[in-house]
Amino acid sequence: MRRLFGTQWAPLLAATAVAGIVLGLATKQFGTAFNIYTILQTTAIYAAIGLSQMVVLAIADMSLAVGGIAGLVTIAVGGLYGVQHWPIGAAIVAGLALGLVCGLVNGLIIAEMDLSGFIVTLATGTAFTGIAYGVTSAIPYSNIPPVLVSLGQGRASFFSYLLVPAIAMSVAVGAGFRWLPIGRAILAVGGNREAALLAGIPHKRAMLVAHALSGLIAAIAAVMYIGVLESATPATGSEWLIISFAVPIIGGTALVGGDAPAAGCFVAALVLAAINDVLIVLNVNTEAVQMAEGLLIFAAVISGKLAQSVGRASPGRGRPLSSAGSSGP
Amino acid sequence: MGVSPARLREVLGSQTSALGLVLLIALTWTGFTSIGGSGFLGSFNLYSIVQLAARDAVLGMAQAMLIVVARMNLAVGGIGAVCTSLLGYLLVVAGAPLWVAVVLVGVVGVLAALLMGFTELTTGLSSFIVTLAFLSVYGGAAVLATGGRQFQITSPELQALGNGTLFSPAICPLVAVAVACGVLCWLLYFRNSLGWKMLAVGANERAARASGVHVGGVVLAAYALSGLLCGVATIMNASYELNVNAGFGADWLLPSFIAAVLGGVALTGGDISVAGILLAALFYDSLQSGLTIINVPSYWIELPQGLVLLAAVLIDQARRRRARPLERSRDTEPGTAAVPS
Repeated sequence: MRRLFGTQWAPLLAATAVAGIVLGLATKQFGTAFNIYTILQTTAIYAAIGLSQMVVLAIADMSLAVGGIAGLVTIAVGGLYGVQHWPIGAAIVAGLALGLVCGLVNGLIIAEMDLSGFIVTLATGTAFTGIAYGVTSAIPYSNIPPVLVSLGQGRASFFSYLLVPAIAMSVAVGAGFRWLPIGRAILAVGGNREAALLAGIPHKRAMLVAHALSGLIAAIAAVMYIGVLESATPATGSEWLIISFAVPIIGGTALVGGDAPAAGCFVAALVLAAINDVLIVLNVNTEAVQMAEGLLIFAAVISGKLAQSVGRASPGRGRPLSSAGSSGP
Repeated sequence: MGVSPARLREVLGSQTSALGLVLLIALTWTGFTSIGGSGFLGSFNLYSIVQLAARDAVLGMAQAMLIVVARMNLAVGGIGAVCTSLLGYLLVVAGAPLWVAVVLVGVVGVLAALLMGFTELTTGLSSFIVTLAFLSVYGGAAVLATGGRQFQITSPELQALGNGTLFSPAICPLVAVAVACGVLCWLLYFRNSLGWKMLAVGANERAARASGVHVGGVVLAAYALSGLLCGVATIMNASYELNVNAGFGADWLLPSFIAAVLGGVALTGGDISVAGILLAALFYDSLQSGLTIINVPSYWIELPQGLVLLAAVLIDQARRRRARPLERSRDTEPGTAAVPS
C-alpha cells in the first residue's frame, strides 16, 4: 500500500520539481527565497485544509463544512481576543474547542441518523457560515494578535514558520492512523463498513471521532490563516471547498475510504501551492488558478490510475475510486 | 400549464411530503403575516417570492434529475455561469435574436452537463468529485472568457417574462415556466419509459442493468436534462436580473439541494416528487422573504438556510426509517450505505 501512495504522487512531485527548477532558471522571481517562502506558507495552509478533509475521507465520508467551521473559528478567535480582550492563548484554545464541537455535531448527526456526510455538512456548513456572518455583520476583526501574525508571516529565509504546525499535524495524523486503535478503526470502517461492523469495531464512535478531528484540524487551519491574512474575517473558508478535496485526492486518498496518506496530502499541498504561485508569477488570472485546480483533480486521479495499472495492482484495491456503480450520492 | 385535478391528486396523494409542505407554507405565511403585518401577503411581496421560487424550483429539478439516478450535480452554478455568460454575450455583444440565444443557451447547458456525464462514465469517478471539479472549471472559465464584464439585457420579451404579470399582479410569468418544467418532469417520470429507467437506475443500478436497462445511456440522459434545466434557470434568472455577469450561479448550489431534498427527493436515488420540489421552493423563498420582512439583518440569512436543509434531511430520514423499516437492511450494505463514494 505504501508503494501505491508513492506511485500516486511521485510523478506529480517530480514534474513539479522539474518545472520549478526550469522556472527558477527562466524567471528571476520564482527562485527567490521570498517566493519560496510564499509557496511554503501556502503549502502549510493547504496541507492543513486537506488533512481536515482527509480524516473524513478515510472513513468513506466527506465534510463540506471545513470552510464553515474555519470561518466560525476565525471570528471566535478574532472576537474573543479583539473585543472580549481574552488572552490570546485562551482565545485560541476556545477557538479550537469550538471547531472540535462543530465537528462533533456533524459526527453525531451523521452517525446517529445514519445519514450521508455530504448533505448534513452542506447544511451545517451553511449554518456555521451563517452564524459567523450574523455575529459579525460581515465586518472582519482587524485587531489581530501579534503572535499569530509572527507565526503566519514569520520566516527564516525561505522557511515559513507555518510549516512547523503543518508538518507536526501531518506526522501526528499519519501516526494516529497507523498506531492508534481509533485510527485503525476509522480506516477499517472506511475500507469496508460491513466487515468492520461484523468485527465489532465501534463504527459510530469512529465516525464521531473522524468528524470531530476534522473540525479540530479545520480550526487549526483557521488559526494559522488568521496571521497570514492579518484579519479575522467570516469570509475565511468560503473558498476552501475545492482545495479541501483537491489536496487529499491528489495526495492519493481513495474516495471510497480506507486509507489516509498524510504524507501524500502534504506533497499535494506543495504541488498545488507551487502551481498557484507559478500562475501568479506568470501573471495568469486567478480564475485560471481555479480552473487549474479542477483540472488537476482529474489529472491526479487519472495519473494515479495509470500508475496503478502499469505497476502491479496490489490486492484488496480492486475497486479504486470507481464505486460509481452501486452507491448513492 | 395547469395540472388536471385528478393528476394533481395522484401526485399529492402519493407524496405525504407535499401535503406537509402545503401546511408548512400556510404556517409560514400566517406566521409572517401576524408578525410582520399584511405587507407579507401584499401582491408586491408575493410577486417577488414566486419570482425567486420559480427559478429555485427549476434549480431543484435540475438537481433532482441527477439525484434520482443516485448521483448529484454540484456544478449547477458552474453551468449557470457558463450559460449566463453566453446569454449575455449573444444578446448584448453579438446582437443575436432572442430565440437563437435561448436555444444556444439550452444546447450549451446540455453539452456542459453531457461532458460531465461522459467524464463520470469513462473515469468511473463518483459524480460528486466530477461535478465538483467541473464546478471550478466552468466557474473559472466563464469569468475568464467574459473578463468579469456586465451584460445589460434589454430584450423586451425577457423583461416581460421576468418582470411582467400573469393573470394577477401577484403572479410572475416565470411561475408558468416552472410549472411547465414540473409537468414535463412529471410526464417524464410517470408516463415515459426513460423516466422509469432513471428511477430504476437510481433505486438499484445493478438490478436495472441486469434487467436490460442501458445504464450509461440513462445516466447521460439524466445529465443532459439536468444541464438543460440549468439553462432554463439561467434564462429565468437573467429575465428578472437583466444586468448579468459570470458570477451568476455562485449561490445556486444550496437552493437546488434545499428544493430537491425538502421536496422529498430521496438522496439515495430512485424517488421523485415534482409537486414537492415546486412547493419546497415556494416555502424556501417565503421563509427568506419573511425573514427580511420582520427585519432580520441580511447577514443572518445563511443560518436559516442551513437549518432548513438540516431539518429537511432529518425529517426525511426519520420518515423513511418509520415508513420502510425493511429497506434499512439495504442501507447497511457497504457501498450502498449513505456514503457518497
